[in-house]
Amino acid sequence: MNYDVVIIGSGITGASIARELSKYKLSIAVIDKASELPAGASRANSSMIHGGFDDKPGTMKAKFCVPGNKLWHKLKSELDVHLNECGSYVCAFNDDEVKHLELLLAQGKTNGSPGVEIISGDKLREKEPNVSGEIVAALWSPEAGIINNFEAVNAMIESAELNGAKLFLETQATGLLLDNGKVRGITTNKGDFLAPVVINAGGVHSGEIAAWAGDTSFKIIPTKGEYFLLDRTTQGFIHSFLFACPSKAGKGITVLQTAEGNLMSGPTATEQDDPEDRTTTPEGLAEVLKGARKLVPNFPVNMNITTFAGVRANTESGDFEISALKSPRGFVNVAGIKSPGFTSSPAIAEYVAELLKEELSDVITLTPNDKFIPERKNIPRFLYLDMDARKKLAENDPAYAQIVCRCETVTEGQVLEAIRRGARTVTAVKMMTRAGTGRCQGGFCCPRVAEILSRELGIPLDEVTRHGGESKLLVGKTKEFLLKKGEAH
Amino acid sequence: MSEERKFICVSCPLGCGLSVTLDDAGEVVKVEGNTCPRGASYAKSEVKDPRRVFASTVRVKGGKLPVCPIRSKTPAPKGKLFEIAEAVAKLEVEAPLKIGQVLIHEVCGTDVDIVASRDLAAV
Amino acid sequence: MDNKKIDVLIIGAGPAGVAAGIGARKEGAERVVVLERDWDLGGILQQCIHPGFGLRTFKEELTGPEYMHRFIQQAHEAGVEFHTNTMVFQIDKETNTVWTMNKERGIEALNPGAIVLTMGCRERPLGAIRIPGGRPSGIYTAGTAQRFVNMEGYMPGKKAVILGSGDIGLIMARRMIWEGAEVEGVYEVMSWPGGLRRNIAQCLDDYGIPFHLRTTVTKIHGQDRLEGVTVAKVDEHMTPIKGTERFVECDTLLLAIGLIPENELSRMAGVEIHKVTGGPVVNDLLQTTNPAIFAAGNVVIVYDLVDNVSDEGLIAGASAAKFAAGKISADAKRIPVRGGENVRLFSPQFVTGETDTTIFMRVTHPIEQACKVFAEPGLYSQRLRYARPGEMNEVKIKAEQIKAAGDLKEIVIDIQPV
Repeated sequence: MNYDVVIIGSGITGASIARELSKYKLSIAVIDKASELPAGASRANSSMIHGGFDDKPGTMKAKFCVPGNKLWHKLKSELDVHLNECGSYVCAFNDDEVKHLELLLAQGKTNGSPGVEIISGDKLREKEPNVSGEIVAALWSPEAGIINNFEAVNAMIESAELNGAKLFLETQATGLLLDNGKVRGITTNKGDFLAPVVINAGGVHSGEIAAWAGDTSFKIIPTKGEYFLLDRTTQGFIHSFLFACPSKAGKGITVLQTAEGNLMSGPTATEQDDPEDRTTTPEGLAEVLKGARKLVPNFPVNMNITTFAGVRANTESGDFEISALKSPRGFVNVAGIKSPGFTSSPAIAEYVAELLKEELSDVITLTPNDKFIPERKNIPRFLYLDMDARKKLAENDPAYAQIVCRCETVTEGQVLEAIRRGARTVTAVKMMTRAGTGRCQGGFCCPRVAEILSRELGIPLDEVTRHGGESKLLVGKTKEFLLKKGEAH
Repeated sequence: MSEERKFICVSCPLGCGLSVTLDDAGEVVKVEGNTCPRGASYAKSEVKDPRRVFASTVRVKGGKLPVCPIRSKTPAPKGKLFEIAEAVAKLEVEAPLKIGQVLIHEVCGTDVDIVASRDLAAV
Repeated sequence: MDNKKIDVLIIGAGPAGVAAGIGARKEGAERVVVLERDWDLGGILQQCIHPGFGLRTFKEELTGPEYMHRFIQQAHEAGVEFHTNTMVFQIDKETNTVWTMNKERGIEALNPGAIVLTMGCRERPLGAIRIPGGRPSGIYTAGTAQRFVNMEGYMPGKKAVILGSGDIGLIMARRMIWEGAEVEGVYEVMSWPGGLRRNIAQCLDDYGIPFHLRTTVTKIHGQDRLEGVTVAKVDEHMTPIKGTERFVECDTLLLAIGLIPENELSRMAGVEIHKVTGGPVVNDLLQTTNPAIFAAGNVVIVYDLVDNVSDEGLIAGASAAKFAAGKISADAKRIPVRGGENVRLFSPQFVTGETDTTIFMRVTHPIEQACKVFAEPGLYSQRLRYARPGEMNEVKIKAEQIKAAGDLKEIVIDIQPV
């Protein structure tokens, strides 16, 4: 398999790069070891589109965050994704913290973050009545927003695919192919992918992948973040994104309303060795709850529907690691992308295209693709449509007159469309349609989604997996199971 | 020498704690703790011939469902339940099925019939 | 759907809905329609294939499908109109318009004379108890596993741990055993079982399945498929006790940690939901705070016995028929019921005195000695041998008692040792 570019990793970084490069006449392969998108840090994060005041001027983060924010406000309609343009507040509880807000304000102005200002605690409480009475002031960032990260990654990849890029799931990179100091491609569990340019967007694994190219200049520190997600009936409890005043330990525990209206809180920041350990812990969850209650004393944790953890790719420098290596030529690191990584990714992608043009013109040529289609339509979201639109959908396709997920009002039509767009697991359907993200967490819809997958993919029900690999839902047919066991005895 | 045994009556949702006194010959001489006569007869049966209703499913060809619920029409000997489970597992029937329809007559040499416990239409 | 005026529209054809249909027709309602989202009538009872239903009503123990078969026959005879594969997805509170969907008929709006909510309940999911650890496959609510085994014919796993001792969990323990799986044990965080004692006897004791009180699952192991759980004893604050942790290998975790009335539609319809029961606030006519909307069964309060659910369905159906015919006055009495010290929850919350009524209640703490259940002032008193949270108690009040009591400010119910 020969390509112009192979991108390792289809998180928001890899996906954004794939879409950006599909604006050029290139054959692009994106590979990911996961069975559905998003996996990794892009699945489990705060889904924040940051205002851009938090990053130290001169850093890569500061360079990409504000432009990334601007791009997302445009991509929202282009890619048809939910972006709640709600703004964010950094909350100060005392004079020292107010001083810090002033620092952030100045930093925001340097970074070009539009409209940032400091408001009083009372003014904050007018907008957000449920925040702590002890907050004395807040830094308001009007351009901040909260995105549906499941939709955004899928939208980005679908848009890239629409423009010719190819996605390979359950494909794990195992090594780099070199030829005389030049990149020739990669090896994977599914065979070799040959290309003169390999882009390392491997998230928490980007350090290991860089080492294949002999680059050990940075180290990834896997950092776990744990979260609470609450029932959507908490909608309106908080309308925006609340930060505590950042400390040395990081941005701290936040409270936010997701793009879909769930109250959410997190993350912790626990460094660990294992990049794949996404387990929640009693200590982590207790820390989140404490932080949530500091900002929002009546945080209604009894409405919790799930807890989860993500692992982000911190670096020792604390900054992104983006560069085209001098040697081997053709190897590009887009590594250590953590907060504000989701925000920055479209701007990073544009920068990567520039890198290829300016620094790797001897191995790759970028000719604009005049057939590039910027628009991508989402799967219809029944829940948000008006009754006339719903009727029309149901008339055209009866599958839209059948509810599969009660909590989020997801129809069979949406599930079928997700399968048509590549969903192969229960979690993939969840990521693409939100079936199973509600208060019963798939109790009702999981068997139904599994049945539809089984029918549409032509596989037995007991071959359907939750999220690929060994995550099968069932272990066999009842009577056969009993008789087999009888024979064994 | 008399012997005392304790059971929880499963005849109804009350779940009375029964205390049963047996004589030397193993005959029930006294039942205590029961709220109704069903408890007394349950205790006697539990001593001599413990029985349970067996309820499971059977494989169905061409039905609205791939399996149909079945039950033992009357309580079956407790010691035979796993044997009955296997006999039922081996069976495959064709839709349609009627509720109460006998699927296995006197299963595993007992005096108990296995019957369908719902109507199941053919597709 | 035929657009002739619907007098009573019932949402859900489980035991409450089917009985409501019968009740409405018997009260004289002309067109009584029951909507069911599944292809089949009967609701969750169709997957409850074990015996244990209907002893009070039919004087014999039936399986779930058998129980429903009898009621569905009665409903057909009574002239109840059923529509399957029809889901209600919205109720507009201003107009009480009911929005339905069906693959053949598409999306339709219905405007009935009265509505009965009979959507039943759902199981509490894992998220409700926030167990740390991974998110592998192999974790199911007991009811979801029951559906896989009894309706689809598939096994959810080979070796199960059951968390919570609600009846469905106990029933599924035996069901898994009968299909050749192993059940390592049942773990209950409380000091008393959630389900009936007879189910502990006939589902666990019969098969030597260990039952651990005051013990819970504290960690979930595995990324793809469940590999095991950590269990630990808990103290009186339900906090895991250090040093009591034990790893249990299993590929399946079944949850039987409680049921929650299913009230998305009720909320849309502007019906007030009770904070403790999780169901609509109702009076003895099973009328909600939206006068045209009635509710019955597990959508109101989670019952132990299906017989009670059917009884309440009959009442709600009859009340809805009366309302549709203009026979329920808007200014009926509304005497509040208050729960005493040891009452965790109860329903109905108001009494009009228009009908004889049963108030269903659960105690907060078990009383393992002689006690009495009563309603003050002097409306009811009954001796009990014990009172347990897992077993509902009843207070019965006659309409004429309410009439005779004159100007009652409230009714207080409680259970106390004697």
